[in-house]
Amino acid sequence: MQTIDHLSATLSALADPTRRAILARLAKGEATVNEIAEPFDISLPAVSRHLKVLETAGLISRGREAQWRPCRLETQALRNVDDWLSRYRRFWMASFDRMDAYIDELKRKERRKSKEKRK
Amino acid sequence: MSATLADDELLITRVFDAPAAMLFALWSKPEHIKRWMGPLSFTCPVAEIDFRVGGVYRMMIKSPERGENWFGGVYREIVLNKRLVFTFAWDNDGPSAGVETIVTIVFEEIGGKTRQTFHQRPFLNVERRDAHVGGWTSIFDRLAHYAATITKEHSA
Repeated sequence: MQTIDHLSATLSALADPTRRAILARLAKGEATVNEIAEPFDISLPAVSRHLKVLETAGLISRGREAQWRPCRLETQALRNVDDWLSRYRRFWMASFDRMDAYIDELKRKERRKSKEKRK
Repeated sequence: MSATLADDELLITRVFDAPAAMLFALWSKPEHIKRWMGPLSFTCPVAEIDFRVGGVYRMMIKSPERGENWFGGVYREIVLNKRLVFTFAWDNDGPSAGVETIVTIVFEEIGGKTRQTFHQRPFLNVERRDAHVGGWTSIFDRLAHYAATITKEHSA
């Protein structure tokens, strides 16, 4: 069970394009900081800061070996975001179904009114 | 996996058989909102809205199984019959509580029907909000991507 703050932290972490790109890289498999930094035009310390944010948000974990500390994707946090979004999606889709039915009702009323006017 | 990574926002496009003015009224008038807000088993007994930029709204939907669910937010942009932007957050306990989101709805009338483009994403802090100022155009430019994410069906 994830708390509210965790979801906010995860969403904040996801808000950054570099961090999304890092996650996309890790979706292909574990990588070291150097490997992660390679495609980016930013310094190693900057990459490390991004990794720290991702780790705090529970989106990645890092190996314990001091030398390499490979990073890997933790999918649970992403799954929680997905669940959160799915609930909204179901809420709105169901509401829009009702909106559709209500529009029909409003249009029937309008037609009745205009018929009465013509009489 | 990489498709999932971008999924912190929602896009739902739907064509309604009604003019844009009717759709806009459905979103802006409490007597209309109460008739459609919430899934089928819910009613919406409370819809208090101060319909102006900076105005606050408060709504409640309820069902026999799920009880009362309050939510609310602030209107941020209002363009008559065309566009509506507001924040949205649930009050209740639960995983979504307190996470503020921002909703943008665009209405486009085509031959008496209206395409409603509904977009919702997290709205977390000042940095994030400021990033949005110039961000909406590119969000809609990336429409194809988001359309792909919403077609992905989730198991209930």
